[in-house]
Amino acid sequence: MGYVDVAGVRFTLPDGRVLLEDVSFRVGDGACAALVGENGAGKTTLLRIISGDLTPDGGSVARTGGLGVMRQFIGSVRDDTTVQRFLIDLAPPAVREAWDAVEAAELAMMEGDDEPAQMAYANALGHWGDVGGYDVEVTWDTVTVAALGVPYDGCKYRELASLSGGEQKRLALECLLRGPDQVLLLDEPDNYLDVPGKRWLEERLIESRKTVLFVSHDRELLARVADRVVTVEGGGAWVHGGDFASYPAARTARHERMAELRKRWDEEHQRLVDLVRTMQQQAKNSPDMAARYHAMQTRLAKYEAAGPPPDRPPDQHVAMRLRGGRTGVRVLVAEQLELTGLMKPFDLEVDYGDRVAVLGSNGAGKSHFLRLLAGQDVAHTGGWRLGARVVPGFFAQTHAHPEWLDRSLVDLLWHGEPGRPGVDRGRAMATLRRYGLAPQGDQLFRSLSGGQQARFQVLLLELSGATLLLLDEPTDNLDVLSAESLEEALGAFDGTVVAVTHDRWFARTFDRFLVFGAGGQVYEAPEPVFDEARVQRTR
Amino acid sequence: MTTVLAPRSSDDESVEQAVARLLAEEYGTLAGPQVVMGVVQNARRELAGSPVGALPELVERLARYRLHTSVS
Ligand SMILES: Nc1ncnc2c1ncn2[C@@H]1O[C@H](COP(=O)(O)OP(=O)(O)OP(=O)(O)O)[C@@H](O)[C@H]1O
Ligand SMILES: [Mg+2]
Repeated sequence: MGYVDVAGVRFTLPDGRVLLEDVSFRVGDGACAALVGENGAGKTTLLRIISGDLTPDGGSVARTGGLGVMRQFIGSVRDDTTVQRFLIDLAPPAVREAWDAVEAAELAMMEGDDEPAQMAYANALGHWGDVGGYDVEVTWDTVTVAALGVPYDGCKYRELASLSGGEQKRLALECLLRGPDQVLLLDEPDNYLDVPGKRWLEERLIESRKTVLFVSHDRELLARVADRVVTVEGGGAWVHGGDFASYPAARTARHERMAELRKRWDEEHQRLVDLVRTMQQQAKNSPDMAARYHAMQTRLAKYEAAGPPPDRPPDQHVAMRLRGGRTGVRVLVAEQLELTGLMKPFDLEVDYGDRVAVLGSNGAGKSHFLRLLAGQDVAHTGGWRLGARVVPGFFAQTHAHPEWLDRSLVDLLWHGEPGRPGVDRGRAMATLRRYGLAPQGDQLFRSLSGGQQARFQVLLLELSGATLLLLDEPTDNLDVLSAESLEEALGAFDGTVVAVTHDRWFARTFDRFLVFGAGGQVYEAPEPVFDEARVQRTR
Repeated sequence: MTTVLAPRSSDDESVEQAVARLLAEEYGTLAGPQVVMGVVQNARRELAGSPVGALPELVERLARYRLHTSVS
């Protein structure tokens, strides 16, 4: 059992902007609270402050119960982290430290196998046992079997990067939900999960007795799971004590109330200013009035010093635009295409203007298929080709762009790249503004929030002049409004769209559905199919 | 939906199936029915919360692994 209490937290960004002004809220024992807010509002930052990764400039965080943390970018891990390292990093600090000690002792033994080294190793192992390390390893078996179908020993040296995004998420969630920590902070836990996976997560969160604070943009998940909603907006946070169904009305009412209070403050302010002005005139003629004039001046000064109540947060504006262009009628033809080791051979024809959603469970090979079409190296047999004037544009959040990390957005736009002309600062800023990214123009790509990175990648697609959009889970990370804007942009796009998605709501806007089935077969369905079982592979 | 909230019967099914299959293998003689039953039930308990459709397979895999490590 545990709780989190955030009081008066203030956080300033490295560039001097105040991101969080005065954030206070409490998540009580056993609550399942959603943390929502637009991309870049500060949700991840807030979770990192609660977990102790970041130190706030003011205010405090109190909590009880061990804390388990799942970060937003799990699912797109592309470094050489192993499954073992990943699970250790999710374990309670005492276990983590004991493990590191065992590893260090092992290393020392390899270098010099003398008695002190052996003693140190024995001690480290003893300590590993004392902190419950062996029990933890037993739990890891359960966790890896549940998430990947293999016991811990069979996968501990496997690189996390070789797991699909959904598998990575699943592994972390199994570990935290089955682990000892009583308070869980989950940053977009549903990203990359297939639909059965999302439903599974919903059930697990509902039945869990742990105290959970989770970030999500998925309205279905929010509606089913959250018993209260914490909103980060306008630099502050407020709590809606009800579920997500009653949330939009509560938010509107709150904004109206804020606007009303602000209006009243402005009116009263104006009245005082006018009074002071009038009295100033009268004070010239009467000493009595002069005293009253000074009193009034003091009153106005006090009123102004107390300051206006916060105004309602400005409405968010995102307007994505994807142009495209006319191509040959036949855009993509695949003949007996087989993704080696992933799917059985299949034929496919996609015509100009088609909107094809690629559906299926985690690990089925959907992303490999998209990467192949994008021109990357993917093992396959059989043939495929693109039609005349088809220019593919690829979007994938798991796609690492190390070369972008330390460059600013304006710089990336200025330089362009093959297939995408560079634009001057004025045009760059105008485009960034439409994507709600103007304040981020001079920020490094690495410092963008998850959703801001996703928006920026859509922006690059817009500038690339692609006529065939290959989108891998484009709505993950995007806040609700940005996802809607993307849908609108795709609706107006003059060209062809092939998108992998697990977003039930987004999928319904497509007109063809290509399903990567559990048995390894690829087939087309007249309606979205969301419950294909996982492909059972011997790993 | 194929996933969530196990009805009781399928819980037991996953246990029964795994026990039957493991007994048919060498674990029938190496460990004996009592032990196999216990290990399978533990595995089932530990895997609580997994999608029902996947349970039979997962229970069997985990139980087989636990039996394997205990007899070897
Ligand atoms: N080094 C930096 N300099 C300037 N701004 C920064 C820096 N690092 C982060 N930021 C900004 O801090 C803000 C908050 O980021 P955070 O990751 O907390 O957002 P978020 O609410 O989690 O968004 P998302 O929904 O997209 O995940 C963003 O606007 C981001 O651009
Ligand atoms: Mg975030």
